[in-house]
Amino acid sequence: MGSTARVQAPARNTGNVIRDSALGVVPGTLEPYLALNAAVWDAGPLPAAEIELARLRNARHTGCVMCQAVRYDVAISDGLTEEKVQMIGADQPDTSLSPREQLLVAFVDQYNRDPGGIAATLQTDLLQEFSEAELLHLSLLVAWFNGSSRCAVALGGMPEAMPRMEISIPR
Amino acid sequence: MSWIVSGVDREQLLDRLPAISGHFRQLYTRVYSLPQVSAETLELCRLRLAQLHRSDADFALEEFPVSAQQRAQLHDWPQAAVFTPEQRACLEFTEVHAMDCAAITDAQADAVKAHLGEAGLVALLQALGVFDGLIRLGLMWQAAPAGVRQHG
Repeated sequence: MGSTARVQAPARNTGNVIRDSALGVVPGTLEPYLALNAAVWDAGPLPAAEIELARLRNARHTGCVMCQAVRYDVAISDGLTEEKVQMIGADQPDTSLSPREQLLVAFVDQYNRDPGGIAATLQTDLLQEFSEAELLHLSLLVAWFNGSSRCAVALGGMPEAMPRMEISIPR
Repeated sequence: MSWIVSGVDREQLLDRLPAISGHFRQLYTRVYSLPQVSAETLELCRLRLAQLHRSDADFALEEFPVSAQQRAQLHDWPQAAVFTPEQRACLEFTEVHAMDCAAITDAQADAVKAHLGEAGLVALLQALGVFDGLIRLGLMWQAAPAGVRQHG
């Protein structure tokens, strides 16, 4: 992993963590990027706590230290606890997670490890637990967070560790 | 055949949650018109991702025209003479990004920046994010993209 940042962020401080990041050097994608990020949180049927669990599980796969350190305030307000976050931190998630949470983690793991190899049993279990709209929401949010997390890692300059930090959705 | 909704393709599945997929598509479309990196180079990177993911349907898809020679030799691009230095730098970057984004070296990033600049590197990364995402979604959903055709 690059220890120094590979791209200089624009010299401005709008207070928006996306606009002020290296992503700000490509104005042509900035608005769609922000709109998609907001839609993932606002425009689907899954609650914020489940979105955050999936995001954090994905960040574990990509190795994004920053993504793992962040907690979105909407998820905390929705009831996400650090105890729950710890439960998805191991290779094998804690068995005291609810069946729905275990399936959510299984979906994220499958997406990262072998998207083409999803077992029929997992398909059946997902269909029993999640509605069609929830599955599409889960799919799109994982795709989005996976891509943005990979981008963050590839831009370099990621520290070895970061303290937990609570932020709002950048808009 | 998708296991989420039987008998629909990837685009039709996306259509079922337009409040999010619309923005995803907008970003996907936008990257092909960015001034920082050419649509042809991006398309070669998308096609290489399709090969790495073994998604024949995504490889058959054409989002932007590339030559038949480039398409045919893409699997062996390091030995092929039909790719420009810019394309080669981006293809090398794409391959590592697909396998382990943390394994990208400063030299590989610098090679892209030598041709595209810092903004070009960011644009490439954003494009790779949505390309990889859409390919993975199609595989995960078992739903092929619409508009696939055969290429000579």
